[in-house]
Amino acid sequence: MTALLEVDNVSKRFGGFVALDGINLSVKAGERLGLIGPNGSGKSTLVNCICGTLTNEMGTVHFDGTPMNGLTAHQRTRRGLARSFQLPRPFPSLSVADNLRVPLLYTVNARSGPHLSAADIEARTAELLSLVGLANRGGQQPRDLTQVDMRKLELARALAAEPKLLIADESMAGLSNNEVADIVALLIRLNERGITIIMIEHIMRAVMSFSQRLVVLVSGKKIADGAPDTVIRDPEVERAYLGQ
Amino acid sequence: MAARLVGNDYIFFAGYVVLQYIVLATAWNILGGYTGYVNFGSAAFFALGAYASVFLNKAYPLPIPVLIVVGAVISGIVGLGMGYLTLRLRGAFFAIATLALAVVLQTFITNWSYVGGARGAYVIRPNEIEPIGPYIQYLFLLMLALAVIALTVARSIERSRLGLGFAAIRDDELAAEASGVPTLKLKLIATTISGALMGMAGAPFPYYIGYLQPTSAFALDYAVNSIAMPMIGGTTSWIGPLIGAILLGTLQQVATVTISSSVNLLIVGLLIVDCVIIAPTGILGLLQGRRTARDVVADPAVFALLFAVNVIPIYFLHQEALAARPLEIIFWAVLVFLAFARGRLIGLSWLVGLPIFGALLSVVPGPSWLWLVSALALAICLVAGLVLRPRDAVARSTT
Repeated sequence: MTALLEVDNVSKRFGGFVALDGINLSVKAGERLGLIGPNGSGKSTLVNCICGTLTNEMGTVHFDGTPMNGLTAHQRTRRGLARSFQLPRPFPSLSVADNLRVPLLYTVNARSGPHLSAADIEARTAELLSLVGLANRGGQQPRDLTQVDMRKLELARALAAEPKLLIADESMAGLSNNEVADIVALLIRLNERGITIIMIEHIMRAVMSFSQRLVVLVSGKKIADGAPDTVIRDPEVERAYLGQ
Repeated sequence: MAARLVGNDYIFFAGYVVLQYIVLATAWNILGGYTGYVNFGSAAFFALGAYASVFLNKAYPLPIPVLIVVGAVISGIVGLGMGYLTLRLRGAFFAIATLALAVVLQTFITNWSYVGGARGAYVIRPNEIEPIGPYIQYLFLLMLALAVIALTVARSIERSRLGLGFAAIRDDELAAEASGVPTLKLKLIATTISGALMGMAGAPFPYYIGYLQPTSAFALDYAVNSIAMPMIGGTTSWIGPLIGAILLGTLQQVATVTISSSVNLLIVGLLIVDCVIIAPTGILGLLQGRRTARDVVADPAVFALLFAVNVIPIYFLHQEALAARPLEIIFWAVLVFLAFARGRLIGLSWLVGLPIFGALLSVVPGPSWLWLVSALALAICLVAGLVLRPRDAVARSTT
């Protein structure tokens, strides 16, 4: 398998604070990767650099064989790199269904290839909503959704862009055990359809059941990368999480 | 065309201004309401259209429809350029930048003697035009056509892919980018369309007014009205600016001819205050019930202040000519509405009777002391609304 995402020596500073310090990361097509680290370790910054929300001063990100440097966030999304936000960021004035129409119209229909007709979009929206368990909620406003449903909407919107790589940034925070299991099952189903997934999560049970490989960030540095069972027993990782 | 039958041209002069505000408010709303970027520089785009006409009138006279196209192109290009320079700024910073653009352009025009400079420029218009008749009717029809064009553009944007993209930008720009929306490109489209429509509205203006000077073309009225009208009507739909422009525009025209212009400003200002507090999502939002009257008067202090503030224009209007009387109705209606909402909240439905009683007293002819009774009724209503608390709250505090 070839690498779908290649992060090469990426660094990012905010003023004097080094948020990312020479990160190298390679993700193969079809892989399920878990990314963990304590609060403030740079996980979200890394996601933002990969997705183009932030620009990294050093290093390059290659996606699907092409360098991403200089591409804006929407250009990267159109190339198949989708993300969900850590705190759900729905479009509050649009209905739930319209929230999904935005990526369908602006990502899927912006790619070369057959365009979706109005009927296709209708069908695709309904399909996505039932996939994440929000069927019949298409007509509601995001503010009427529960926190759980808001997170599902966040995932559905990222999926609507038909990504090759999906980055799920803490899409399970605050959910109950059953809900976590639902979302993990959903992500594994998506992975079986061929979507490569990076999961960023604090809930270790979810990460361990989901990931084929685990990467640990601490203070902007990658300190471990390997099979989840091995990584979790790594003394350095234990030290970072539990203290001395 | 009743006015043509009546043979009174004034209605066309007034109607032209209202239609012009429909175009300006609709144009502002495409950037401000749909995309969420507040433009304080409407007057600059309007004036650009107007001065393009003045320039061409002197250099190479052309029919007004052609001037409208020229004005639209110039203002559209300036809109695009301004967008490119300023759209990386968010919120208040963008608004300040648009204001700065207006100042820069005004300084430029004031110092450009070819188009009249600070002296201003005369534009001689013929009295009649075939086959319509009086020239003002021709201008009125042109502006009517522009209003239809502007509303059609706004309505079709709203229902298109573009409108969905604009709404996504307004709601959350980061999430819009992540969903594949090319935010910068769409914002540039919005500033260009918005600027072009404003330039269109300005192009016939020199022919309407006959004498154009920088202070009238760059007047603050245009900037304020083109923001206030969509806000009052509602910014999320093309109908909002239409409602706002018709309401506020007509009101201003009526006030201008019936009362002094300073009271005119007071009225418009107070109506904006009323709208912002009672209907922050515009009249459309109020109609769709997104906010109930209960919320507005839940705080007794807000009720009392709003009530007192709306009594002020009634006092002033009462001293004006009889023709100004109809304007009082608006403020009486606001008072009745406030008393009704507050009365229902605190369980005293008779509260609404007091301002109605006061209104009737002020209208019926009678001895001069009647207004004292009217004022007393209003004072009782104000104090009752301020002091009395909702029953359930009273019950809670006593137990």
